[in-house]
Amino acid sequence: MAEEGPPPSTQTLDPIAQRKHAAMLERISNHHQSRLHASAARRSASAASPSFDSVAAFLDRFSELRRSIESDLARCRGAAPAAAADICSAPAIKPELEKVSASISDLERLLAENSYFLPSYEVRSSLKAISDLKEALEVANSELLPRKKFSFRNKAPKKESATLVKEIDERKVPDEEKSNLAVVRDTPGFRNEKGAVLVKKFRASEEDEGDFTLANLESCKVYLKGRFRALFVHRLKDCNVFAGPVLGSILIEEASNCVFMLASHQIRIHQATVADFYLRVRSRPIIEDCSGVRFAPYRLFYEGIDEELRVSGLGVETENWANVDDFKWLRAVQSPNWCLIPEDERLGSVNISEVTEQDNDN
Amino acid sequence: MGLLSIIRKIKRKEKEMRILMVGLDNSGKTTIVLKINGEDTSVISPTLGFNIKTIKYQKYSLNVWDVGGQKTIRSYWRNYFEQTDGLVWVVDSSDVRRLDDCRAELHNLLKEERLSGASLLIFANKQDIQGALKPAEIAKVLNLDAMDKTRHWKIVGCSAYTGEGLLEGFDWLVQDIASRIYLLE
Ligand SMILES: Nc1nc2c(ncn2[C@@H]2O[C@H](COP(=O)(O)OP(=O)(O)OP(=O)(O)O)[C@@H](O)[C@H]2O)c(=O)[nH]1
Ligand SMILES: [Mg+2]
Repeated sequence: MAEEGPPPSTQTLDPIAQRKHAAMLERISNHHQSRLHASAARRSASAASPSFDSVAAFLDRFSELRRSIESDLARCRGAAPAAAADICSAPAIKPELEKVSASISDLERLLAENSYFLPSYEVRSSLKAISDLKEALEVANSELLPRKKFSFRNKAPKKESATLVKEIDERKVPDEEKSNLAVVRDTPGFRNEKGAVLVKKFRASEEDEGDFTLANLESCKVYLKGRFRALFVHRLKDCNVFAGPVLGSILIEEASNCVFMLASHQIRIHQATVADFYLRVRSRPIIEDCSGVRFAPYRLFYEGIDEELRVSGLGVETENWANVDDFKWLRAVQSPNWCLIPEDERLGSVNISEVTEQDNDN
Repeated sequence: MGLLSIIRKIKRKEKEMRILMVGLDNSGKTTIVLKINGEDTSVISPTLGFNIKTIKYQKYSLNVWDVGGQKTIRSYWRNYFEQTDGLVWVVDSSDVRRLDDCRAELHNLLKEERLSGASLLIFANKQDIQGALKPAEIAKVLNLDAMDKTRHWKIVGCSAYTGEGLLEGFDWLVQDIASRIYLLE
């Protein structure tokens, strides 16, 4: 199952597939055209969807709507004393609750439509606010609406889905045990090494296509020269990793006491403790379940790296190495889980020109 | 689908479909949405909450909800289940190590009653990466054959990077939804 010949690429497609592909590209560009028209039209009819000049203006509007929903909800609950949750009071309450539900949806939509320009903290806290409103509405629904009226409609589909769930469960259990991962093959990478120097040079022929994995390494020095497409890092302890430009994303899970020097379009760091990251990155780096991680700019050198960075879209310093978002930190103050590396503690520029694959001692 | 929900759907804005995009973090959801919409995909940060795009597709208007897949925010997915017509599950076909995780999250999602009527499109994304698993292999690892027989689903290999496969997937999804929702026209 493992070796099935080369993966499909645009060059090796048969003529029919090629024609389809060309048609698709055309449709995508048509899409783009009509989208431009649409957005021009939208601009001239700006009243249709409110856009905001500033984050503050958005936040004002958001909290205004939120307060009004909260008070509507409070009014519903006030109007129907708990004991009166019977059929008589329900007709009046139900449309009210439906109105609240619609307002919450509108609020959610407002946030979604503006989430591209809002700072991450504001998106996260607004998201939480909406989630709280929904919960409050659910509570109100279950307190205020008589169940009887509902049960008639709800029961039939519920029964059906209950058996449906059971069927899935029954089939899933044995499959989970034998775990279909048998089809899975090892992708290129360095794995299960201790105290080794590991060097990989990506050749021009493979640089645009390959992904690479570093897994279960302890006390290793890793050098990856050349361009490649994606990097997966899993379980590294006491390691130093220096890498050339990655065209796609880098995903790091479980690293402790390590130094990384990386350039990439996207960097995601999960479960790292005590690690230094020297980054050049086009988007905002993110951390989740991390502590003691620190950041500084990328300072790697070997022959040809400037050109490699340039053609990878990483030629320019975006300063994003310092714009870290912590998924586990919802407050406006600085997350305690990460910081910048003080300048006097930073590594100078690191020159790995001399390192070659002959240095591999694994 | 009950009669009531059919009526509700017809009363909705004309030709509107609600599409929910989910999947593990890093699978390429945001890249797919922007690519389909003909937008620049060169600077995309991991999604901290969610994004919504209204995309004109054929004669339909798709409301595409792209929800972040990082572990911390997966618990918010359930906020978006209501009235979902189409579910797009995106897989990073090169992230072999996390496929178990991916399968568990998918099957968890499929237990959700509010999604039981939704058409399911699975994108085996990142096919441009050498060593990525083929759609058939992904289908096997994710155990798709064990899904409820009434579910409408399809798996399509794609690359948000080259655009390959994206329209094939969305064409199927939109047709499948249309044939269910607008059948009373
Ligand atoms: N090579 C390659 N890389 C891809 C492809 N699709 C997405 N990527 C890269 O994968 C990374 C993750 O893409 P995103 O679109 O941010 O992923 P996401 O699913 O939205 O992630 P969350 O928002 O965290 O849930 C980015 O660096 C993309 O450039 C693809 O088809 N091929
Ligand atoms: Mg995203």
